[in-house]
Amino acid sequence: MHVEIKKRLASDKSGSFTLDIAFDAGDGITILFGQSGSGKTTTLRAIAGIVTPDSGRIKIADEIYFDSVTGANLSIQRRRVGYVFQDYALFPHMTGEQNVAYGMKENGAGGASRLERARAMLAVFGIEHVRQRYPQNMSGGEQQRTALARALAADPALVLLDEPLSAVDAETRSRLIDEVVMAQKRVRIPFIYVTHNMAEAIRLGTQVVVLHEGSVKKIGQPSGVFHTLVDERQQE
Amino acid sequence: MIWEPLKLSLLVVTVATLIIATLGLAFGLLLAKGRFHGQELLAAFFTLPLVLPPTVSGYYLIVLLGRHGLIGEPIYNLTGWSVAFTWQAAVIAAIVLALPLMVLSARAAIESVNSQFEIASYTLGKSWLATFFLITLPLARRGILAGVVLSFTRALGEFGATFMLAGNIPGKTQTMPLAIYEAVISGEDKRAQVLALILTGVSVAAVYFTSKLTKGAIKY
Repeated sequence: MHVEIKKRLASDKSGSFTLDIAFDAGDGITILFGQSGSGKTTTLRAIAGIVTPDSGRIKIADEIYFDSVTGANLSIQRRRVGYVFQDYALFPHMTGEQNVAYGMKENGAGGASRLERARAMLAVFGIEHVRQRYPQNMSGGEQQRTALARALAADPALVLLDEPLSAVDAETRSRLIDEVVMAQKRVRIPFIYVTHNMAEAIRLGTQVVVLHEGSVKKIGQPSGVFHTLVDERQQE
Repeated sequence: MIWEPLKLSLLVVTVATLIIATLGLAFGLLLAKGRFHGQELLAAFFTLPLVLPPTVSGYYLIVLLGRHGLIGEPIYNLTGWSVAFTWQAAVIAAIVLALPLMVLSARAAIESVNSQFEIASYTLGKSWLATFFLITLPLARRGILAGVVLSFTRALGEFGATFMLAGNIPGKTQTMPLAIYEAVISGEDKRAQVLALILTGVSVAAVYFTSKLTKGAIKY
């Protein structure tokens, strides 16, 4: 996939700043790394179609999501993007299995009903027990897994994760990191993962895109990128 | 004799509440989600009957719908029928006076739903309309139900505008509040008492129901 976004953003403190980034991502986990306010979440929202860039081009496989030159702009619904929100945004009036079944197509393989397939999906993540549970009765880790299962159940072309592990404790986080890696290996589609946690980035990333004040500072493999980052900081 | 106004009130209020719930939800949604010029002006227009004296609202209704009204006259000339002094007039008066409560409640309830849930629904492939019925409406349902109950009680108690447009014809347009008024001025204390008690009971029940709703007695 190819992402190229320019967008002028109004921010409360420094007047406005311009998001101006470009990167390519393949089958694997691409980390968008940077401090808050560097434009990570806006980039995800632009890829998902929630915000519209001023100019640029977003292409997944052979499908063009957005192109300011031709005027192409696919609706959110047609982009088939699995979005795992920072606070998960699980529907509070639906149980675990209802949440997971929500985005599923009607007719699945082998004639299994949507709820049956949702249960199978929960089983993959080891949380079958939350199928009748409402989100407020789930632990942070269970909510996170349900959110990931829901995003993957809709048969997405790519998955966007916005700091999905910021609200869980260290031990759960460590286990969830492995599960995200495993989930990506299973579905083999691009994952774009936003974080400002270096340890997460190193353990998850196939490649890292370092953002700073709206522009790309570095792109590369996690080990290389972070070594030079650390070196630079020590020199400063 | 007590049954006539009670039956009429139930008919008027049921029809009015059904229409109010539908219209109020539609306008509440429009005001909550729409971004158009004159939006707040429209909101103010809907609020007007709340702050106007009911007789003033009733007066405008006569100007519009009376036999010689702006809309009423052409209708009368065409069909020989006028809505004034019919039970339908009582329904119209109840709708106009109670609709603001429904519009305001529905708007507030819809606006209170975290838009993150709606965005999540779009990313899962659901259309705007499907999202409204599957996500927004269920999450806003408490406030919307409270609006229905409030406008139901407001419609039930409607007096001034009903009197103006529908008159006070026993068995035809004399609803409960009008029957109480009539009973009092003609010295039928017993009748006034019974009618007043019935209306009080219904209103207390409605308020209790609303407070249960808004307090979150419903679990999830």
